[in-house]
Amino acid sequence: MELSDRELVQKCQTGEMSAFEELVSRYHQKVYMVILGLLRNREDALEVAQETFFRAYRKINGFQGGSSFYTWIYRIAVNLAIDAQRRQKRNPLDFRESMDGLLESQDEVARDPFADVHDKELRQNLTNAINDLTPEHKAVIVLRTIEGLSYKDIGEILGCSEGTVMSRLHYARKKLQDKLSAFL
Amino acid sequence: MKDCENISESMGRWLDGELSPAESESIRAHVAQCADCGEAQRKLEKLQLALEGALMAESKSIEFEPFWRAVQLRIAEKRTWYEDALDWSRGLFTASRAAWAIPALIALLLAVASLESYFPGWRGGAGRNAFAAVDSIDAHGRNVALLREYDSKTTVIWLYEDQEGENETAEEPPPPGPAF
Amino acid sequence: MKLPKNLRRRVLLFSLLSFIVAAGRGAAQKQPQIVQVKIGTILASNKNDEFDAKLKGLENQLRVLKYRSYRLLKDESQNVPWQGSKVFEIPGGRSLMVALQEFQDNRIGLKVRLTEGQKPLLDTTVRIANRGNFILGGPPHEGGVLVLSISAVAQ
Repeated sequence: MELSDRELVQKCQTGEMSAFEELVSRYHQKVYMVILGLLRNREDALEVAQETFFRAYRKINGFQGGSSFYTWIYRIAVNLAIDAQRRQKRNPLDFRESMDGLLESQDEVARDPFADVHDKELRQNLTNAINDLTPEHKAVIVLRTIEGLSYKDIGEILGCSEGTVMSRLHYARKKLQDKLSAFL
Repeated sequence: MKDCENISESMGRWLDGELSPAESESIRAHVAQCADCGEAQRKLEKLQLALEGALMAESKSIEFEPFWRAVQLRIAEKRTWYEDALDWSRGLFTASRAAWAIPALIALLLAVASLESYFPGWRGGAGRNAFAAVDSIDAHGRNVALLREYDSKTTVIWLYEDQEGENETAEEPPPPGPAF
Repeated sequence: MKLPKNLRRRVLLFSLLSFIVAAGRGAAQKQPQIVQVKIGTILASNKNDEFDAKLKGLENQLRVLKYRSYRLLKDESQNVPWQGSKVFEIPGGRSLMVALQEFQDNRIGLKVRLTEGQKPLLDTTVRIANRGNFILGGPPHEGGVLVLSISAVAQ
């Protein structure tokens, strides 16, 4: 029978490495996707995702179960990704080039609604617009879009109120709409 | 128009499913009959679709085994104490804390510098300024001595009596001057 | 670490407020309303080995003079208004006039004149620490000498 996250955490706290491995197996993909959405670079996202689980391992004994394990791990991931964004010294041109390369080299694409040149231009402009958001605004957009998390869960992850999540989402979407008005 | 303004504010929450059933129904009914709000909904939905396309399309599955090995390697590595201290300090010294810490530090330094005015002698009393400074002495022709004794921080001005018998009414001669 | 835009404004505001407070305190120090001047009149002699218990607080200072006996004759305080003066009666027909001159860096400037009747014996200007004192001695009295402890406290 599959153990719950809480039971696996309890086993980790007694030193069972196999329990931690199971938790990593369950969440490594989701954590990576969120971090990739924030950092926009695959190598950096992989590095930060590994660091996220390393930090979680070191702090696992302090996890009291006040929140769910996934909001706890996302909190670590988002904080590390925001720190990494602030340390990034690449210029915007490098971002555009790396994102173009990233998108065009996709072998497996979940869905590709953009079949024509107009849509490709929209995608490129959208990528730039997302990069122009502050780390905090980018985080709410990524968590809502990729994970479909509720405002309550997003607030727990980012350590803010639901009202703050709501206003950040509203602001971020308005800003993106303004920048992409020609395409929408 | 006021309804449209309110709905514009709530459009995102409505599409995210964060409103109560009653609120959702109210907005749905308005949007169905308002061309402007209907257009706003269409734009927001198109933006959401574009965001999903941009963010989800980038995600590629990562293999678990290499990822887990990398995490195990990090766990096995011994981190030095200063790496831990650096990580701790990064969390401690955030920009917003610095915005308050720096002015508070300046205020604290100024307060300490002016502490003497609030608590005179707080440094212990017998500091280097405990000596009285004698700026001038006029003994009107008599002998006078100025003494400073460092251990007790004492300043003494000693007036020697006129030796030529001014004090003729004294019953007995005064003792000799202090033996300093 | 990128500093927030309002950091400079906060630093300037706090620094300005702190400076105003400190300057205000500094300005307040220049002119105390009143200075309490205290004169302890002591008879020092070699007649015996008595040390008046009331002079315990001055023992270290008086021992400098190396007399064998010290007795407190009189202890008088008067409030001297700023830039005013007061006269203290000293045994043997003498008087001590103390005038306030200045107050700076927590030190009180005094002008002191010791007279015997109408005859001036000593004029001196002294700056003592607030709550500090100095010793003025030498005039003969009753087989010993008078020692005056002159102290001042800014109110």
